[in-house]
Amino acid sequence: MDCPHIPELSYGEFGERLRARIAGQRIPLAGSLELTFRCNLRCVHCYVAHGHNGLPGQEELTCAEIYGILDHVVDEGCLWLLLTGGEPLLRPDFLDIYGYARRKGLLLTLFTNGTLITPRIADYLAEWRPFKVEITLYGRTQETYERVTGVPGSHARCMKGIELLLERGLPLKLKTMAMTLNRHELWDMKAYAESLGVNFRFDPLLNARLDGSSDPARFRLSPEEAVACDLEDPQRMDSWRQFCQRFVGMPPDPEHIYHCGAGVHTFHIGPHGELSACMIAREPHYDLRQGCFREGWREFIKEVRLQKRTRDVKCARCRLIALCGQCPGWAQLEHGDQETPVEYLCQVAHRRAEAFGLGSMTS
Amino acid sequence: MSLLEERYQKDPSIVAREIAGEVILVPIRQNVGDLESIYTLNETAARMWELLDGQRSLREIHGVIVDEFDVEAEEAQQDLLGFVAQLETIGAVKRV
Repeated sequence: MDCPHIPELSYGEFGERLRARIAGQRIPLAGSLELTFRCNLRCVHCYVAHGHNGLPGQEELTCAEIYGILDHVVDEGCLWLLLTGGEPLLRPDFLDIYGYARRKGLLLTLFTNGTLITPRIADYLAEWRPFKVEITLYGRTQETYERVTGVPGSHARCMKGIELLLERGLPLKLKTMAMTLNRHELWDMKAYAESLGVNFRFDPLLNARLDGSSDPARFRLSPEEAVACDLEDPQRMDSWRQFCQRFVGMPPDPEHIYHCGAGVHTFHIGPHGELSACMIAREPHYDLRQGCFREGWREFIKEVRLQKRTRDVKCARCRLIALCGQCPGWAQLEHGDQETPVEYLCQVAHRRAEAFGLGSMTS
Repeated sequence: MSLLEERYQKDPSIVAREIAGEVILVPIRQNVGDLESIYTLNETAARMWELLDGQRSLREIHGVIVDEFDVEAEEAQQDLLGFVAQLETIGAVKRV
């Protein structure tokens, strides 16, 4: 379309232009909303604890409460919203919430394990098209997949879910958490995604459980294996090279504990209305049942972002900080405080630096 | 009847959002606009969009635009008719 009044842009172009225009301003452009902690799978590595059935005595946000929160989120300028869980499709009112959010003009991403997708859900998504849907694969073979999920039949249901979305031309992406149980099928999963014509990505960094348990760490790849995954994937290496050229070597912010975009242009809301700076850094949080999103975002999260270091840690001087996943959220989960460095992340970052030829910065 | 006497109403399948001071149109439902795209409106177009309520005729909207913006009447008319035609093309408005 060529019209002086209504220039047509792809979302990617629009997003880039927007981010450049609002640099330095705090606007909650993108957020995530965790609709439930409940899940129909029993994945060994999951960061959600609570016996997979939600916290006793703590009710999930109702549909009406979520509508109210979405109204405020939109008023504050959010455009991209991720709906996630737990497994969000377990909520019987999922399509109501999804439809409400879409009609508010939000660009929705859905994270799901894919096993609960029905023709009815897929049809609805096709009519009210999401920005994207991401399904997590846990293995390429049934054996590996179900060894991770612990649920017989889940592999076949996931494959069916993928089929239902692709039949309708929905914008699907596949991904996995690379871990000891599925490392040997990582590239088979990628090949499978490519055979379907969809993008694939993986993350080898399993974080601790939200209750502080280190159980998921039992399935972590060693730092060497995590970096080996990078080196075996030419596309991923290209992305890393570009990233390193732009960001690595920049002096860290020695004063503040946050050095990412959390709480500047992004936010997270938990299943019971807990507003936090991001999905990993959940503490401290603001209770949306006691106040409104506007106040939580403008006052509370702003203060969270401004938290200063209370002690000297090696990360405050590390020039690899951009390459490292070290953050207050990981530290909180692993150590119960926001500042103690997570040694595993440090090791991965240093091995990556060596592998990427940035050895001079590692000292 | 002159096109200026026509009234247009917005289609609920496209939503206007103001993001960081910029007004955009977001197609939300299949068969409306291009769902892979977003449409950005300048200040005048955003005001025209606001005024397209199914009640006001294009002539009335034109009057408001000429009053509120530093623009010649003829230029404003061309802009308005061009804008509405584009909106019709992407399914954002319908003639009442």
